[in-house]
Amino acid sequence: MSGRESPGSPAGAAEVEGLLRRALAPVEPPEDLAARVRGTLQSIRETAAEELEGWELAAMRDPRNWVRPAVAVVGGAAAGAGLLLLGLHQRRRARARTLLERAEQTASDVAAGARKIFDPR
Amino acid sequence: MAQTDERKAALDADFSELYRSHLRDVYSYLYYRVGNHHDAEDLTEQTFLQAYRHFERAQRESDGRPLRPWLIRIAHNLAANLYRDRSRRPQSRLEDDAPVATAHSTEELVNGRDELARVLEGVKQLPDDRREALIMRFALGMDNREIARALGRTDGATKVLIHRAIRQLSAIVAPAEERGDA
Repeated sequence: MSGRESPGSPAGAAEVEGLLRRALAPVEPPEDLAARVRGTLQSIRETAAEELEGWELAAMRDPRNWVRPAVAVVGGAAAGAGLLLLGLHQRRRARARTLLERAEQTASDVAAGARKIFDPR
Repeated sequence: MAQTDERKAALDADFSELYRSHLRDVYSYLYYRVGNHHDAEDLTEQTFLQAYRHFERAQRESDGRPLRPWLIRIAHNLAANLYRDRSRRPQSRLEDDAPVATAHSTEELVNGRDELARVLEGVKQLPDDRREALIMRFALGMDNREIARALGRTDGATKVLIHRAIRQLSAIVAPAEERGDA
């Protein structure tokens, strides 16, 4: 500080702020740090991708893991059939829509349900 | 699956952008916080690795707001852990007294070495929260709102914190006769 302003005065504080800007200048990271971080992130991404691929293949070779997709398919078909019957029943009662429209809607619902089951989070 | 791949690729691209934009911020913050390049480099790398692990959630929850405070918060926590671990297992002395002025140009050193050295020494004497707020404001150029988010405080409390930090620093760096010590 120059010694002209008292530390508590606004001018003194402004002077300290100016000194702080110079004293705490941003520091450029070393070149090799940027390369190091990029390399580590890249290897993490690759490892994650390889692990996922390996897990998917290994999982599908194991018959125990066929249960979930099979249940989903059977469940989906049953739900589809149920919805189709419901649609027929409603058609009789309401007589507002054609069977074809209902069936299309039912198929669409089943597909949406399947997407929910298989879509990994 | 194709949708997942596309989403992942977009996420990676966003993270690369975050990394490019804020590498210097994270490094500067950590350098002034820990006082040496070696630890600052290690902690910078750890900060981005942690950020990468939680990036998807942070991006979702940020709702478009800047992610810099979140990054600095990660860096802050890692630096705090470093100090805590070393205080539990004292090994070699932390290079906290290393000349922080290595970040400055020769011209600056010649023209204002004494003043800048006094300011940096004063910054080191401040309580942790005040010191960190000053580093965020002056080394990173963060505004009150960003600092508040990084420190987990309200905007008002942050404004008061910075005001008090500057006032305390002014008293520390003022010549003895101004403080009434003479």
